[in-house]
Amino acid sequence: MRQGMAWYVCKRLLQGVVTVWFIATATFFAMHNVPGDPLLNDRAMTPAIRANLEARYGLDQPLFNQYLIYLGNLAQGDFGISFTQENRQVNDIIREHFPVSATLGILAVLFAAAGGVLWGALTALYRNRMPDYVIMFLVILGISVPSFVVAALSQLGLVTLNTLVGRSLLPVAGWGSVFHMLTPALVLGLSTMAYLTRLMRSSMLEIIDSDFVRTAKSKGVPPALIFSRHQLRNAILPVVTVLGPQIAVITTGGFVVELVFAIPGLGRFFVEAVQQLDYTVIMGTTVFYGAFLVFMVIVVDLLYGFIDPRVRLQ
Amino acid sequence: MTAAPLLQVEDLHVEFATHGGTVRAVRGVDFSVDSNRTLAIVGESGCGKSVSVQSIMGLIPVPPGRIGPGSALLRGQEILGNNVVNGRDVRGSEIGMIFQDPMTSLNPTMTIGAQIAEPLQVHRGYGAGRAREEAIRLLESCRIPEARKRAGQYPFEFSGGMLQRAMIAMAISCKPALLIADEPTTALDVTIQSQILDLMRDLQRETGMAIILITHDLGVVARMADEVLVMYAGEVVEKGGVDDVFYRSAHPYTLGLKAAMPSNRDDSAQVLTPIDGSPPDLFAPPGGCGYFARCPYAMQACEDNHPESFDLHADHFARCWLHHEDCDVEATDVHRTTASE
Repeated sequence: MRQGMAWYVCKRLLQGVVTVWFIATATFFAMHNVPGDPLLNDRAMTPAIRANLEARYGLDQPLFNQYLIYLGNLAQGDFGISFTQENRQVNDIIREHFPVSATLGILAVLFAAAGGVLWGALTALYRNRMPDYVIMFLVILGISVPSFVVAALSQLGLVTLNTLVGRSLLPVAGWGSVFHMLTPALVLGLSTMAYLTRLMRSSMLEIIDSDFVRTAKSKGVPPALIFSRHQLRNAILPVVTVLGPQIAVITTGGFVVELVFAIPGLGRFFVEAVQQLDYTVIMGTTVFYGAFLVFMVIVVDLLYGFIDPRVRLQ
Repeated sequence: MTAAPLLQVEDLHVEFATHGGTVRAVRGVDFSVDSNRTLAIVGESGCGKSVSVQSIMGLIPVPPGRIGPGSALLRGQEILGNNVVNGRDVRGSEIGMIFQDPMTSLNPTMTIGAQIAEPLQVHRGYGAGRAREEAIRLLESCRIPEARKRAGQYPFEFSGGMLQRAMIAMAISCKPALLIADEPTTALDVTIQSQILDLMRDLQRETGMAIILITHDLGVVARMADEVLVMYAGEVVEKGGVDDVFYRSAHPYTLGLKAAMPSNRDDSAQVLTPIDGSPPDLFAPPGGCGYFARCPYAMQACEDNHPESFDLHADHFARCWLHHEDCDVEATDVHRTTASE
């Protein structure tokens, strides 16, 4: 069994590498098909830099050669130098700014998962009663209102609140302490939390009426144990299944929230790079994000194997 | 019999409030069962067998269910609507229960051993290790080979018959005085059925527990039961010792059930005869006899007059107007005290 598990992990990681290679290839050729030239932007580019860059990346060479060179560098973990920010390594950009985005994203996923499971279970237990109606109304709001609206509204709310109290309870924007993280993480995780709440509610409703819950009652198991051991554990399975793709939704949605809350995350570089056709930064951020997401999906799948004994990882 | 019976149920009523109105699922059921005895409750689907025992076990969701009036006394203590007696839940400790479909009746994400150990931990306060050892011993006593290995497995790794054995092991883990088996063999194939029934019987001999067996299989009744309760449309229509009910059937519905049972006797030329029609609508139960519309001996009086119960012998009664002294209908196959005496 242990051996099967190790083999499964290896297989999944190999598949992941192939996926990342595919992402890199697709991005590379799509990017080069966009009209324009990264070296022809508003700023005057000194001939020295142009020559330096062209020599290093072979921009004068055929596209396929460029692709091979790029893959070679990528295999060594070198994303190259930014085209627009002089002498700045893409690796440095990622190293500096990714931890910010990752912290925000992970916090948002935790908010979303914990909130979704809690609210979903609550609405199921209070089915067709007041708490159920109130929470489900908020869920529909959470799913349908886009995150930039929620972000702006939450900032407005914070400003009003801080003014009323007369001092700063929570910072409205910026990055630094834990207090800076709370509001943007909540905003970022909100729609996923709403989605997971709905999923958890329906899955919990199915479990509440199931035969094995009736069996647990017939054994005289106390309600708190029935809830945690028999209902929650089984109802959570579908939630874990969608957690992988939802992590992708949250991290890609992070760009907007980072912008509104002035958070120095990776998202800003990603968007600006596309606008300025900064080849290396586009490639670096895309491939890195892609690899991160592939990795997270594998982690969630492994997690699922631990939660649901029926899933045999082979 | 001077002492009070182990479980005495009197005048049990259960209703369900639905969008279409109130379903009166159980309408005044009385029965009792004693240690070392097996009471079979028979009847077709929807006649209130399962609802009766589930209401006693507190397994009917309230609402939409509504339980009462009525009483269920376990050793003289009321347990209807209140399963906690002397600070302890009688479910799992005093009364064990097994269900129809073992495939869905066990928690798919818990090991079999942990599920059997659970009542021991809840009711007896056993530690995890001790409860686990006891669970393995219980699995062995329910004739599951390689019990130690099996205890660490999950329900999806078991076959249906093995799961039902595990269910039994779980139900008897705290040595209950009463085992309720709600159609325990319906979902199993015939050879496995037989093994499960044997197992229940042997466990009863060892522990002296009482069994309430719900089934619609008269073959199972003949093999297992000491007493039989025939239910129809939420009421008891005939009750008596197993021989009385089988050989001296006193209600046309019991006869209908017997005629609908397949037989493999060589000399039997009988054709399987189903009971025509279907049970009455329990949204609006009939004022007279519930079996009126399907009964071959139905009389004018049966339509509007609810039948009284007539005693035929000690502990054998039927709820049918045919036993009224003024009845002159010819019904040769219905056993009547007047005819036999």
